[in-house]
Amino acid sequence: MTDTDGWLRVAALSELSDDEALPAMLGETPIALYRLDGEIYAIGDVCTHEYALLSQGFIEDGAIECPLHQAKFDIATGRCLAAPATEPVRSYPVRIENGDIYVGQNPRGDPGNT
Amino acid sequence: MFLRNHWYVAASDSEIGRSPLARMIMNEPIVLFRAEDGTPVAFEDRCCHRHLPLSMGKLVGDRLQCHYHGLQFDTSGQCVRIPGQDQIPPTAKVRTYPVVERYRWLWIWMGDPALADPDTITDFHWLDDPDWGAKSAYLHVEANWQLVVDNLLDLTHLAFVHETTIGNSALAEHAVVKVKRAPNNVVVTRWIIDQEPPPTFQKVGGFTGNVDRWQIIDFAPPAFLRLDVGATPTGTGAPEGHRVGGINMRNLNAITPETETTSHYFWGQAHDFEPHNAEMTETIFQQIQTAFLEDVAVFSAQQRNLDRIKNPPQLDINADTGVIQARRILARLHDEEQAALQMTAAE
Repeated sequence: MTDTDGWLRVAALSELSDDEALPAMLGETPIALYRLDGEIYAIGDVCTHEYALLSQGFIEDGAIECPLHQAKFDIATGRCLAAPATEPVRSYPVRIENGDIYVGQNPRGDPGNT
Repeated sequence: MFLRNHWYVAASDSEIGRSPLARMIMNEPIVLFRAEDGTPVAFEDRCCHRHLPLSMGKLVGDRLQCHYHGLQFDTSGQCVRIPGQDQIPPTAKVRTYPVVERYRWLWIWMGDPALADPDTITDFHWLDDPDWGAKSAYLHVEANWQLVVDNLLDLTHLAFVHETTIGNSALAEHAVVKVKRAPNNVVVTRWIIDQEPPPTFQKVGGFTGNVDRWQIIDFAPPAFLRLDVGATPTGTGAPEGHRVGGINMRNLNAITPETETTSHYFWGQAHDFEPHNAEMTETIFQQIQTAFLEDVAVFSAQQRNLDRIKNPPQLDINADTGVIQARRILARLHDEEQAALQMTAAE
């Protein structure tokens, strides 16, 4: 896979551990990578409430809790699960090739709100 | 907001003796003294007769005698002498508080005495351990106790408040920070890799080049911050768990509320390199004290603004994660304590 078709290499697979979010840049956009039950996900890293970095928050039950005001987002889809945020974060397609993580720049469809 | 069912540091052991010491804790006036055999005692600092602080009195053997009319109280708080009469009403007594001496501090239980369990006293053993050199001190803070807790959970401030001692810009710009939380605990781990050591570390560590520096902050409610801090020459394996050479210290903090706007700040610094070198202990202590006096100035300035402006809006930044998680734990513990009190009142 090359850098055409909107895919960018954002990290090495070896950098991503199971219990932590890995922040990365997708071009100019802050994102974070997560590995849950063997699947890799990429979602926007800026909380839609007051712009904290979600990757500095807490992973529980497939959701990321914002470190500052406890908004929650579903890691697989970016859906907003808890206030004070109301808007979802973007969810991006992920591919693994040769030990590298590639993320597609076109986010997946709108996952809806709480 | 105070959390009552906890042990707090009331004094350093050397403050308590045969002269009664008055200290306000959570808006409760307390008098502290030692019996003749050295056992520490804490009473409500108010004579049950006409309310004079008992701390204005004097010890007669093991009895604290009120300065006003000479009523004497034994170490259980019971009045045992009323000058001019033989009978003593059984209601003539003052409240006592459970106290325990540990780590060269006197700990007091401020809540329901039936719940006081000395095994729950937070571990500060480095202050009284032959393998560590340590010195403790006290600061009076003109600010709410939670502002001091906040300060110790966000160490980016070292770069700006403590530039001449323990701070440099690397702390704010190059730290890798992870926050772990549990129901009654927050741990903030900060690593600053391959950066210049700050002035204090150069002075006591003899570093000639860059260092790997760690700051691991453990918060235990209500207000105990135990920091594992130090640095080794860069690239010698500290982040992987091998601390080779360099300096290794503990910065230990126990904050006790005095009022809603003032606090007692007990702290100490311990080091395990050259632990028996008293000059090293003193040099390190002076460096940290310089820094802590800078913090005290910050706290009172914050409190002045908070006194003038009720509930001002607050902006949170990324560095506030640990601070916010600790405050959430304290709010929850307070709610639980209040709920339990209301249930008891209803019974």
